[in-house]
Amino acid sequence: MIASPLLSVAGADAGVAPRFSVELGQLGHPQSKYSPKPSKLFCFSNRNGHSLQHPKCFWRFPCNTTLNLTTRNSHLIYAYGKEAEDSFFSDASKDTDDMYDDLFKKHGKVVFSRKDQKPVSAEVDDDAESLSFAVEMARVASEVKAADIKVLFVKPLVYWTRFFIIATAFSRPQIDAIGSKIRDLAEKKYGKVPSGDLKPNSWTLLDFGDVVIHIFLPPQRDFYNLEEFYGNATPIELPFENQPPFRA
Amino acid sequence: MIQPQTHLNVADNSGARELMCIRIIGTSNRRYAYIGDVIVAVIKEAVPNTPLERSEVIRAVIVRTCKELKRNNGMIIQYDDNAAVVIDQEGNPKGTRIFGAIARELRQLNFTKIVSLAPEVL
Repeated sequence: MIASPLLSVAGADAGVAPRFSVELGQLGHPQSKYSPKPSKLFCFSNRNGHSLQHPKCFWRFPCNTTLNLTTRNSHLIYAYGKEAEDSFFSDASKDTDDMYDDLFKKHGKVVFSRKDQKPVSAEVDDDAESLSFAVEMARVASEVKAADIKVLFVKPLVYWTRFFIIATAFSRPQIDAIGSKIRDLAEKKYGKVPSGDLKPNSWTLLDFGDVVIHIFLPPQRDFYNLEEFYGNATPIELPFENQPPFRA
Repeated sequence: MIQPQTHLNVADNSGARELMCIRIIGTSNRRYAYIGDVIVAVIKEAVPNTPLERSEVIRAVIVRTCKELKRNNGMIIQYDDNAAVVIDQEGNPKGTRIFGAIARELRQLNFTKIVSLAPEVL
């Protein structure tokens, strides 16, 4: 119906040619309640396996997590040694087998993984850093008397950011004040420059990459109702939160 | 490849159902618009009793195209339909929710509001 995006990844050089294609119809995105389409077909194909070293390796996606498109790991390609054992290619010589056995011993069973993959600890560190930044930005917004400030941890829901800050301001000059104060502090203290709206808007958005700040006028906040859309996100307790919640 | 006279589906709940492109915003004499481009469009079909009506002229952002979108890493994304999201002059979407998958290129083009309302970002 609406979208059957066809994604294809193709290597460049010729070599051993393992092919794979994964039907994603049932693996699709189970939480997408707003997309009424029944199934989607994604085809991932790697024709040439450009950095493949082991002729016995069978390339595959770890289907349980990787193809869920909301996660950060959505395009990882692994070659597992386990699959190497039930391989298609059996004409490799004994020497290379020994060589690859050594490599397996040295590096473990994963012989290829994406370069920019981060270890879990680094991911946690990044989360903590973004959290401190988000709380600091929320504090600045509350200093300029923004109401009903909410910090949501949306990383489990969307892959493209970690935190949302949603705040209400009551006039465009106030939105301007909040926006410029946040920009100043982010640039001075953290060296981050936001993209997004430059002029005060009824829905002003400041995009810092890991943290996205939404400043609404009261009618727009009710109209778009972002909190409901991200209702499954974990709200973060704010230390300065003692004002009564505002409702227009 | 959206050009004047192209009909597009509407990927939000603004009340419009079908648009027809009448102008591409940007440089003059531009022939085609792709994902992330703003177009001027006329509403050809609308849901009854909604703020938007038939034959109204609006602005819209293209979010899906049948023409494939290529990324630097070799990935190609191609949708089954041409679809757009109705926006106002300030760039705020007129609807409150977006339907279907959209591409992350919209975020780089400063349409993060549309991305944050979308259920799925490719």
